Amino acid sequence: MTVQDETAAATPVEQSSGGVVATLFRFQSVFGLLAVFIAAIIFSPRKDGEILFISADNLANVVRAVSEIGIIAVGMTFVILIGGIDLSVGAVLGLAAVGSAVLMVENDWGFLPSVVLVLAIGLVFGALQGVATAMIGIQSFIVTLAGLQIARGLARIWSGGQGVAIAYGDGPHEAPDSFAILGERTFGGLVPIPVLIFAVVAIAAVVFLRVSAFSRHLYAVGGNEKAARLSGVPVVRVKIAVFAICGLLASLAGIVHAVQLNQGSPNDGIGYELDAIAAVVIGGTSLAGGRGSVAGTVAGALLLGVLNNILALNNIDSNIQLLIKGLVIVAAAALQRLRPTS
Amino acid sequence: MADGAALVRMVRIGKRYGGVQACREVDFTLGAGEVHALLGENGAGKSTLMKILSGDVTDYDGTIEINGQQVSFGGPTDAQSAGIAMIHQELDLVPGLSVADNIFLGRELRTALKTVDRRRMEREARTLLERSGVKLDPRRPVGELRVGEQQLVTIAKAISLDARVLIMDEPTSALTTAEVERLFEVIRELRRSGVGIVYISHRMEEIAQVADRATVLRNGQIVSSFDPRKLSTAEVVEAMVGRPVQTMFTTPDTDTGDELLRVDNLALRARRPRPGRRDPNGISLTVRSGEIVGLAGLLGAGRTELLETLYGVAPAGTRSGRILLQGQEIHPRRPRQALAHGIGFVPEDRRASGLVLFHSILANTVVSSLPSYGRLGVIARRMERAASVRMADRLRLKFGRLQDEVGTLSGGNQQKVVFGRMLLTEPKLLLLDEPTRGVDVGAKSEIYRLLGELAGQGIGVLLASSELPELVGVCDRVVVLRDGRDVASFSTADSGEGDLLAAAMGQGEVFEEVGGAQ
Repeated sequence: MTVQDETAAATPVEQSSGGVVATLFRFQSVFGLLAVFIAAIIFSPRKDGEILFISADNLANVVRAVSEIGIIAVGMTFVILIGGIDLSVGAVLGLAAVGSAVLMVENDWGFLPSVVLVLAIGLVFGALQGVATAMIGIQSFIVTLAGLQIARGLARIWSGGQGVAIAYGDGPHEAPDSFAILGERTFGGLVPIPVLIFAVVAIAAVVFLRVSAFSRHLYAVGGNEKAARLSGVPVVRVKIAVFAICGLLASLAGIVHAVQLNQGSPNDGIGYELDAIAAVVIGGTSLAGGRGSVAGTVAGALLLGVLNNILALNNIDSNIQLLIKGLVIVAAAALQRLRPTS
Repeated sequence: MADGAALVRMVRIGKRYGGVQACREVDFTLGAGEVHALLGENGAGKSTLMKILSGDVTDYDGTIEINGQQVSFGGPTDAQSAGIAMIHQELDLVPGLSVADNIFLGRELRTALKTVDRRRMEREARTLLERSGVKLDPRRPVGELRVGEQQLVTIAKAISLDARVLIMDEPTSALTTAEVERLFEVIRELRRSGVGIVYISHRMEEIAQVADRATVLRNGQIVSSFDPRKLSTAEVVEAMVGRPVQTMFTTPDTDTGDELLRVDNLALRARRPRPGRRDPNGISLTVRSGEIVGLAGLLGAGRTELLETLYGVAPAGTRSGRILLQGQEIHPRRPRQALAHGIGFVPEDRRASGLVLFHSILANTVVSSLPSYGRLGVIARRMERAASVRMADRLRLKFGRLQDEVGTLSGGNQQKVVFGRMLLTEPKLLLLDEPTRGVDVGAKSEIYRLLGELAGQGIGVLLASSELPELVGVCDRVVVLRDGRDVASFSTADSGEGDLLAAAMGQGEVFEEVGGAQ
């Protein structure tokens, strides 16, 4: 079997490759990332002839900065692939960050039970949203808009309304040192652990979407829900599972968030859902469902990260940064309209 | 009616859709104050002819004259301003808007301040509705109304346009007897005021009651024109179906085996009845393995609803009666269960409910049988590919590569993909809903060949179709449904299209007449 066949069968999406133009569009987000990367090198400030942008330290920072959004965006890709949306991810991240801090600092739980419980909360929260949209039939936009409020409210209640600082040690009200490792760097101090987590999540998701029977069902539900149901696809189960995965990944991102900031605040992750959606859209996944890939989303998240980084390196005003980000999203969406349809 | 006074004169109208000649040199006239019935089987060219007259279809051969003036419409708006209004079978109403808003949609009445004059619209709507013989609050949202009531609203809307020519396509399909009576009064009144009406219907007794003249179309040509009061229903039916059954049906007469499916007095009372649905209301039938059983019936007779009930996708509600598959009672509640029992379903509308058009041929073929291509939820790519290739060969699918989008295939080949998907689940019983609709002749005959092959392998087939030649040609037996019940059953060896049509239309005596004549 040829490599082309492999990718083709993996995403039942863009397999009608053919011609240079089609290939360009197919890997649109990757080329976009490349273009932004090259632009970043050109416009990077230099110090003693060294290009600051491509220093190992800076690149590691770029990826570390996008790891939380990236993890969330992977889950968001799943939801958007079935034609849904999940607005609750930022709030679930906040809830998970608060949960990690409270459990380990205030309740003196160990590392493993805390992480497992926090992940379980995200999973169940997502699954419940899946139930509401798949079984009751409420649009996911509305379900997760409500979920956003609920998760945020739960985080406020759990934390007592304010951030819970995380100190490390063996004493009472100190988090175990094993938790702190999640915020450190590995491979000779080069690769931050959050980047590693993001990479593992992304690769697992890419592989999962490529080989699992479940992924075919997922694409079918997003492509034509009625046809999928008549074909015997367990539509309800697929939807619940997808929202559960998204919730799980949002809470994983919350744990990463807490360890990086050494605190858990109920206000963590405000607006992250929008950045995640932006990464998915730039990555070429269709909001209508049934078309897209996790690889694209990863490229989309990195593109946003590189953009943020180079603008910051050049001391561009943060308000201008917002404008530029907005224009990039519109440009990405516009490019997809130009995609040749066969 | 003098020909010189013709309100509408269509001369030598022709229209071709790809390889299909929908209309061929059709001459059609309509006089002022005349009700002209248009008859014919599905696909005979009635709709095309009327779409040309109402401006929906603008490229055609031939000429149209209105009041002796040659016209050429650029679209429905042109036709409307020439005084031609069409009441479509698919109701074009906005469900969220009120009755009055719908009637005046796009030409809202204004006050002196240019705001919408709700009160005047409601008042005028009420008058219009009364003229159409309906008692309806014009403020009610259209979505709340029964389909029959909605139909009356579209009729009121058409009348409000002060059209000189009114085209009604199956206007009574969802009306009660009383409503039909009132509609006929309206039609008579319109006729007195000089409106010309084209009346499309399958219901013979209505035509005899309301029409002055009737024209029968077959294969895009006029085959007969007559006074509906003077011709018997039997003769009309004969004119409609009067061609020899085509030789393209080559289903071998296979020996049928044991009883596969038995449906016993099946009825479904939906918890929330949907307008326009005719759920089973006491249907009994059997299908033996290796047997192809047809389901005949008019629009709204409940054919699709029966298949959906058997496949487990009917709306929630109380089901009575029994479904037995190989002697075991089954309760299909969702497609997965039906598929697990060995029941496959090919839906009516492959684009809306059959395929993901922008996904690959491969993905669309294997989606129902995925677990069999690997273990533990991991797909063995080679196995699914092999299955897909095998199916493509077997169905003689014409395609470029398996990863091409299924939407790039022709209608017939798309349909083959849906078939292939079901066959990969290795069904014992196939439920087919209009499997050859929108499929070209070549693909049609291949589908028939496939059906014969499947029957030869002992698969039972239940085939719903509105094409009578297809039912008679392909099936061993045909069950006729009317109003959600089975009303007749024929062996195709000794009955013809006329019998089916007569039974479907509820003309018992005609059935005897035609049946006796053969």
